[in-house]
Amino acid sequence: MTRRIEQVVVVGADAPAWMAAAALQHSVGAAGIRVRVIELPTQLHPADAYSALPELARFHHRIGLGEHLLFSRCKAVPVAGRRFSNWSGAAPPFIHGYDRSPPPAAGLGFTQLWIKGRQKGLRTDFENFSLASVAAKAGHVPVTAGGAELHAAFGYNLDAGAYSTLLRHFTMSGGVESKAATIADVEIEGDRIIAVILNDGERVEADLFVDASGPHASLIGRMPGADVESRREWLPCDRMLVASAARLKPLPAFSQISAFRHGWVGLFPLQDRTAVVAAYDSRETSDQALLEDLPALANMPIGGDAIVSDLSQGIRRRAWVGNCVAIGESAFSLEPLDGAQLHIVHYCISQLMTLFPAEAGAFPEAQLYDRIIHRLAINLHDFQLAHYKLNRRFDMPFWDGCRNAPVPETLQRKLDVFTARGRVPLYDDEVFQEQDWETLFIGHGLMPQSYDPRVDAIPEQEHIAQVQARMNDIAGLVEAMPSVDDFIAGVDQRQKEGTTVG
Amino acid sequence: MSEPLDIVILGGGTAGWMAATALVSLIPQTSCRVRLIESEEIGIVGVGEATFPEIRNFNDAIGIDEAEMMRATNAAFKLGIQFVDWGFKGSRYIHPFGVHGPVGMDHIFHHRWLRARRLGLKGDIQDYSFAAQAARDCRFELPETRSTRIDSAYTYAYHFDAGLYAVYLRGLAERRGVVRTEGKVKDVIQDPETGDILSLRLESGETISGDLFIDCSGFRSLLLGETLGVGWEDWSKWLPCDRAVAVPSERDELSPYTRSTAMEAGWRWRIPLQHRTGNGYVFSTSFIEEDEAATSLMRSLETKALAEPRMLKFQAGRRVLNWANNCVAIGLAGGFLEPLESTSIYLIQVAIMQLVPLLPGRSIDPRLRDEFNRLIDLQYERIRDFLILHYKLNSRKDAEIWRYCAAMDVPESLTRKIELFRHSAIIERYRDGLFPPTSWLSVFIGQGLMPEGYSPLADTMPGESLVAHMEAFRADISDRVEEMRRHERFIDLYCAAEPAVAPMGTEVRL
Repeated sequence: MTRRIEQVVVVGADAPAWMAAAALQHSVGAAGIRVRVIELPTQLHPADAYSALPELARFHHRIGLGEHLLFSRCKAVPVAGRRFSNWSGAAPPFIHGYDRSPPPAAGLGFTQLWIKGRQKGLRTDFENFSLASVAAKAGHVPVTAGGAELHAAFGYNLDAGAYSTLLRHFTMSGGVESKAATIADVEIEGDRIIAVILNDGERVEADLFVDASGPHASLIGRMPGADVESRREWLPCDRMLVASAARLKPLPAFSQISAFRHGWVGLFPLQDRTAVVAAYDSRETSDQALLEDLPALANMPIGGDAIVSDLSQGIRRRAWVGNCVAIGESAFSLEPLDGAQLHIVHYCISQLMTLFPAEAGAFPEAQLYDRIIHRLAINLHDFQLAHYKLNRRFDMPFWDGCRNAPVPETLQRKLDVFTARGRVPLYDDEVFQEQDWETLFIGHGLMPQSYDPRVDAIPEQEHIAQVQARMNDIAGLVEAMPSVDDFIAGVDQRQKEGTTVG
Repeated sequence: MSEPLDIVILGGGTAGWMAATALVSLIPQTSCRVRLIESEEIGIVGVGEATFPEIRNFNDAIGIDEAEMMRATNAAFKLGIQFVDWGFKGSRYIHPFGVHGPVGMDHIFHHRWLRARRLGLKGDIQDYSFAAQAARDCRFELPETRSTRIDSAYTYAYHFDAGLYAVYLRGLAERRGVVRTEGKVKDVIQDPETGDILSLRLESGETISGDLFIDCSGFRSLLLGETLGVGWEDWSKWLPCDRAVAVPSERDELSPYTRSTAMEAGWRWRIPLQHRTGNGYVFSTSFIEEDEAATSLMRSLETKALAEPRMLKFQAGRRVLNWANNCVAIGLAGGFLEPLESTSIYLIQVAIMQLVPLLPGRSIDPRLRDEFNRLIDLQYERIRDFLILHYKLNSRKDAEIWRYCAAMDVPESLTRKIELFRHSAIIERYRDGLFPPTSWLSVFIGQGLMPEGYSPLADTMPGESLVAHMEAFRADISDRVEEMRRHERFIDLYCAAEPAVAPMGTEVRL
């Protein structure tokens, strides 16, 4: 073994940079490796919000960040899922709830029971068998008073600026050095970064550079072989607008994603406002026209803080080149349709930890990281793409195009096997699990043509009883859950009592 | 599913009866009817006297009482596989059915161990595997279910008489409604347009038609290979062994592990059952003559032979598709991988358990078929790579086969795993397919590939505490293992077979 890595420099801004620095400090920092941050100017605007999956709680737990701080400092609202409306013609909206599947009985998931039930005339929609969806619809937060485990969890909507500031303070108090700067130049030899030159002339050297600069890709973008494969062919939205609207009262327990003629509009409730996001195709509508349509699309007045930006969706061919590792949106970008933005940062960081280089001289770990992150990107893009592919907004060129275009083989197989049998093939490095895909497919109107033959071994009366029991269980659990407003109000109290949240 | 699906299984060995029992047990007869055709004139290969822990899921799913099955098959327990002389002459390690280190720590444990070793920790990595320590000591008890306990860190499989297992399953299957037909197939009747199999005409003149045919005809692959012409993918350049010679011998010490000893042109197995010991030599005719191999096997026996040695011919590989038209191959009809890691029965099981949820209706849905083939291919390829690893990672210079294997090119999917482990002790994970990271770890280290580096995450604890911690953990395992019953004693209490001598098959068993 040659020399160990001694110094890691994170280059970036906002939550991704501080998440990376906090995680590195917590793990390899404790092993004596020096972790520094070059803090680039923020890319956030006052209207920006992060919408995060429940897995973020695991990240906080790991680095030791108290969950109550999200509610007291970041205007956090707990959400049990995302409601998709207007994607499928006259079909009612559905909620993708953040369920944690219970272990299947004898290899049979509940979905298979539901499919047969449906064929036999069961009228209850699939989402009513999801604990998180039912909680979300009721405006309740999936927690139990005693902290007992539930097969559902909640994610967070967070004020992006406030969350980044919280992470920054937390990370700095953990001993990470940082310097606010911009990059004047990057010295590269072959496929290695020798130094990053800052605007004040300082030359920053390190053994490993972590690029957390988001879509700017300030470091990885300069590395050989790390160009971006465009996904525009499949994912047509190329512009994004973010704005604020008034707070919703009472606070809902879900975010809302509504399709419209040229893309979609998302409403993300926060404690003091509602973040409004629109993603659309610039070939279909102009920024100005969209802004004019927005109050009607969001069904609420829009504040004056709207800001528009390019939305590029691509996957970098290599996410780790030489001694430069890209995390989150420096590695691949996607639209905020399914709330995976912070999760991909988390996922990349976890992989970097698992694959943290054994020595400073050579990085064979990079190849495996590349493969993992590429698969992750494809799987997430497929999930996002499925919304578009399965739309039933007929006679609108944008949506007809999305529905008729061929999709990648990885997604087509999922659609095919699900249509045939109600099962979803999962690949390595999936963020969303079988139940998430099932909810998405069924919600958008894809109905399996047959079910697992083992279901027929369950006598009809027992089948009906199991279905009924599941509904009753869910109803009982949801009734006992607090409303969003009560939950937030109770956070401080629980913190004092020493019970953890989430 | 109004009209039940008619399934015809051709062949009644381990594969045929496992498939028949599973189908009839898991799917009601209103949905599918199962017939099985076998001929007593055709011997069975009887794959695998040694199994992998996954077989317990199979047995549980179809409702088998463990102790009863074990009594009926002269079974003993298995905690892993011991490899002797593989890495180099005189080397010895156990691939255990359980993690190294505490439960839930397998991502970091071996990095800590590598660091502790540099700091002077003695002993080898198996000292930190509960299953390996218990196996070495010939002890067995059922694992503890509470995951906080040190003796929950393992699982187990069986050594059994695969012929008797098939007989046992046949009893179950027939009681549960499988119709067995004695006879040999004379003709296969196909749809002239699609090529789908319509029926099998037997020598007796009887014609048996069906919607779905399961080819369990063994190496011959009568339906999938011969009739439908599905090609064979040859893997013998990586797995050169093409023969096995097998012989039972008198019962020996009942060690709870399979032993695999590297030989001059392959390797030799030793599988202890309650009533006898199974022995065999898997070898390559490129490196040794059949007679010489048989002599070598007989000479190596530790107890008296109970029969004449039997020779079996094969080639490593698999059918390009395991499901084509309306025909699914299960077992040897679909592919063969040598029994080095006891995967033959596992491959049967996984094919059945993938087929059941994807079982087609009366007309074949290609979407289900393609998904089945994708999953089976993953299983085969991952086992293949793991087997090749044993051959590739050897430093024996004393025989031509070992020099050949050490020098051969291996699939890229394996090369990169070896190189990454060599550099940084990182083990790639995958979702589908056998062999968790702990299995890879045991073979990498056991065959002598000591990584050059390890994860800096292992550097967080002060060195002295780390070494003390390791030693304490090893002692905890030893203390608990010492309290366990002897394997033989446990079997006496739990599942002793009737003293009557079980029928001695003449068939070759793998």
